[in-house]
Amino acid sequence: MGEAQRLFFLFLGALLIYNILLIRFIALCSFFGVSTRMTTSIGMGLAVIFVMTMASAVSWVVWNYVLVPLHVGEFLYIPAFILVIASLVQFEEMVIRKISPALFRAMGIYLPLITTNCAVLAAATESVKPGFLKLHIPYRFSFIESIIYTLGVALGYTIVIIMFTAIRERIEGAPIPSSFRGFPIAFIVAALMSLAFMGFAGLFGL
Amino acid sequence: MNQVWHDFKSGIIAENPLLRLMIGLCSALAVSTRVEYGIFMGIAASFVLFSSNIIISAIRRWTADQIRIPIFITVIASFVTIVDLVMRAYFYPVYKVLGVWIPLIVVNCIILGRAEAFAYKHSIMRSAADGLGMGAGYTLVLLVMGFIRELSGTGKIILFGQTLVSLGAGFEPPSIMILFPGAFLTFGFLMALLNIVQSRGRS
Repeated sequence: MGEAQRLFFLFLGALLIYNILLIRFIALCSFFGVSTRMTTSIGMGLAVIFVMTMASAVSWVVWNYVLVPLHVGEFLYIPAFILVIASLVQFEEMVIRKISPALFRAMGIYLPLITTNCAVLAAATESVKPGFLKLHIPYRFSFIESIIYTLGVALGYTIVIIMFTAIRERIEGAPIPSSFRGFPIAFIVAALMSLAFMGFAGLFGL
Repeated sequence: MNQVWHDFKSGIIAENPLLRLMIGLCSALAVSTRVEYGIFMGIAASFVLFSSNIIISAIRRWTADQIRIPIFITVIASFVTIVDLVMRAYFYPVYKVLGVWIPLIVVNCIILGRAEAFAYKHSIMRSAADGLGMGAGYTLVLLVMGFIRELSGTGKIILFGQTLVSLGAGFEPPSIMILFPGAFLTFGFLMALLNIVQSRGRS
């Protein structure tokens, strides 16, 4: 298998087969919390793509050039990564506000919220410790692989949250039993979407 | 004392973090495939919640408002590291299954949420009670979901190597219940059930 092809499979695996929301249940709070209106979903998706890719890249560097040489990786990776994410979010908020006020308005309050979006910490952790994944890939990611992998995860998040929002907007006016209104029916919708995404397992024999 | 008891109790039903406040969902849905995992995850999260609530409440007078979030996160991350290392040392098989969910307790919205909304504003006693109550509410939902999913998905409940309940060989378990969609389905129906019970109670 060629290098480019392997990267492509890694990307697709993160995007569809191990979709972070529907198959791996990470970041569900934001998934159900912000998916009531299309504009907010798109803002959240953008913010996630942005922060997650940066956070994984920085975490990879911190892990490989700071924590591992000092032999403190196993003890300090949680506080180290979460501090990386928290400061990155602050930093990016300032940069985006300066460079693109329009993008800043689109992301709005979702940027600070991302600090506690577990998807970001999960992607950062997995970009250095892919052992949690059951993908058939080498144990340690190279820098390029960790970026590609994170991009797949982030795009998977964005695509699914946009699809889910579209369904929820339609379901608002549907005649459903009153006890199922709001969140319960959203969970049933998520169950059906998750069922559909399970069909991706076995794609390319991954 | 009455107040402390009330703080403890409200976490279990009235302000149940999962079913009412809708926070901390990810880990709950992911690890509720078996009752046993629910017990471990519940204890781990309750320990972190309880200890970080106490510490954050104890240092609240010396915590500057502008940098409180990094301080909360650091306190929480320290306790999560303790859980991470203890579980890896003594319960390795379970740790392997729970995997990424243990480090992810740091960003479990229940813990940061309670630190911000409760522990930062209340006394140590009340914060400890709140932490315990929230932890108990979380664990309770995990146990109920684990019970439903394990029983319907595998046909029996196995706890620490002992078979507790078995539906018999005639029952063909729909394995979808222990897979991903089963978690969403179970949780959706649990919420709807709670809605029905509450609207009955009101009328």
